[in-house]
Amino acid sequence: MKFVIPFSIFILFASSGLAVELDTIFINRGTYTTIDSNQWTFLAFNSSPAFSSQNTVIKLLESDSLQLTVVNNDSVAHGFEVKGKGGVSSIAPGDTAYTSYSFSDENVFVYHDPLSSSNSRGLGLGGMIHVAKANRTAFYWNIKELQSDWIEDLAQGLPVDWTTYYPDYFLINGRSHPDITQDATARVEGSVGDTIHIAISNTGNSDHSIHFHGYHCEILKSSFDTKWVGRMKDTFPIQPLETLLLQLVPHQVGEYPVHDHNLVAVSAGGIYPNGMFLTLLIQ
Amino acid sequence: MKLLTIHIACFLILSLDVYSQQVRQIIGRNVGWKTLSDGNNVRVFGFADNLSQYPDVPGPTLEFTEGDSVIIDFWNISQGAPHTIHLHGLDVNQENDGVPHLSFEVHHMEHGFYRFRAPAAGTYLYHCHVVSSIHVQAGMYGLIVIHPPSGENYSWEGGYEIHRDHRLFMSEIDTVWHNDTVLLHEYDTTSSMHHVKIPIYDPQHFLVNGLGQSQLIDSVIVTGQVDENIYVRLANIGYYKNIVVLPSGLNARIVSSDGRPLSTEIETDSVVVYPGERFGVLCQASEEFESEISVVYSNLNTGVSVATEVVEVDISGFLGIDDSEHQPEVRISPNPADDFVTIDVLDQENDEVLVKLIDPNSRVLDVFQITQKRTRYDVSYLPSGTFFFYFPRGEEKWTLKWVKK
Repeated sequence: MKFVIPFSIFILFASSGLAVELDTIFINRGTYTTIDSNQWTFLAFNSSPAFSSQNTVIKLLESDSLQLTVVNNDSVAHGFEVKGKGGVSSIAPGDTAYTSYSFSDENVFVYHDPLSSSNSRGLGLGGMIHVAKANRTAFYWNIKELQSDWIEDLAQGLPVDWTTYYPDYFLINGRSHPDITQDATARVEGSVGDTIHIAISNTGNSDHSIHFHGYHCEILKSSFDTKWVGRMKDTFPIQPLETLLLQLVPHQVGEYPVHDHNLVAVSAGGIYPNGMFLTLLIQ
Repeated sequence: MKLLTIHIACFLILSLDVYSQQVRQIIGRNVGWKTLSDGNNVRVFGFADNLSQYPDVPGPTLEFTEGDSVIIDFWNISQGAPHTIHLHGLDVNQENDGVPHLSFEVHHMEHGFYRFRAPAAGTYLYHCHVVSSIHVQAGMYGLIVIHPPSGENYSWEGGYEIHRDHRLFMSEIDTVWHNDTVLLHEYDTTSSMHHVKIPIYDPQHFLVNGLGQSQLIDSVIVTGQVDENIYVRLANIGYYKNIVVLPSGLNARIVSSDGRPLSTEIETDSVVVYPGERFGVLCQASEEFESEISVVYSNLNTGVSVATEVVEVDISGFLGIDDSEHQPEVRISPNPADDFVTIDVLDQENDEVLVKLIDPNSRVLDVFQITQKRTRYDVSYLPSGTFFFYFPRGEEKWTLKWVKK
């Protein structure tokens, strides 16, 4: 059983093989440096009090339970919710809240701040829970986008008009192309014939349409529509606060791009191709 | 000795490639102009079948048969940045994938050869992948249709028989992106990665098969007969989401996506098509009617629907019913033909008939009136493929399927 979150404590029930994970997550405010060296205020759910622009992926196994402590290190109130499973509506600055969840089957969930979800996600706040079968690992793409000229207003709690939203930075795990290639949790590397799972969450505010070169993938789970399960596709729409679990079994070697086919989203600060674009490497 | 000869013969037969080799030339040009529905022209980049053509948007539809060994000979005669062809969804190998820094670029007056085995029957796309945000918006895209070995009358091998095959290919145009300051971007050929500034995207024109508004009305028609299997291929190469609303009378169901049959078919009148996606929608009308397909264009960031385009639908006649009331009063021969066809009006009392010639992309290629019992019509300009002659006359309408050799 493998968990990456350092504060995790596992209590194993010998009779059932089920585990209860005790975890702590921190809502941190910090400074995010973009691919083109701009620095902005950013929010993230991290596994330690130290800010990282990469929201923590909570990794569990089927039938695990999660007892979660949420510490709000920010100067304003936030909530915590696993979409579809409830949570804590509001946590005052400096306060701590407790919540628990149980997960039956392999799946992917979004967690976010329900108190001001769009605005918080507009500053980067939103992460993913991956529930895996035993001995199954995955790659993680937590995608989102930001509108640079809204950052300071959002950071100060000022209102924005989401009907005029025009994001100009498009991120995977808090990074843009080509930096995202350095993220081993995102950069798919494998061999022909491997069974590769990719967990995708959209914690931004825009729809995205993720296109694979070189391969079709099977949809194992879709939070948006269960009728999508079983489809073999090369292009995968994903709406805000939705998730997908894909299975890739590569049939050929090579390095192939995966990118948003809203081709405006393959940019950062208006510069192509610094956006939502990475490559798969199959040996 | 005789047995050995038979064995050798069998080996040779089995060794032969049972699929044909297709060589298709495509020309890449930067000097096209597209007339928009408001009458204004914008500069486009695009693909053409031959040197005598300026590029159209979208480019020519490429059609192959599953299993074909295909060579696309891409001849780039344009100056400036190079171009490529990305075979979207065909899962070709890296060398033939058309991504500049991972495969190859095709520079001015160079030929690039893309080699692949035509995959599973279905609907695919091709587009340039050099600074793709700009070159796709510039117009460098087209459809690919792969037919099953059993023929064009089937959706895929072992799939549905299809009597009509219509294609609705959606995109948008932002005229700002068609200024030379955007199109003729800098390109450092010594660099493997090309960083280019792109403008704000705010399209003013919303297209189906390259046409919008008044251009689209009466120029693209989805026709069929009652009880026919009408296969509507939907594809989106734009940067907005499409919500395609079909008339309830078509009894539509989504049966395929991205070149694969769906594991679970969906009965619906509304199909959402995101950028890069394709869907196969099987329709079967239970009665005659006239209606329209609405295509809504929705901003992916705001969710706001900003435009609607309309495609005419005309279901008239009955599949396989030899009812004199619905017998076409026109005849086309020969079928198939190469250079000319003869159109005979069989109605003894009236020999004036309006004729619309419709291509496989549901696009009206020609409209003409015939005023005599027998008319000779030149078809030599048409490429090989299946076409429809559509004869609307008051309450009566006939559609005749015809094949150009």
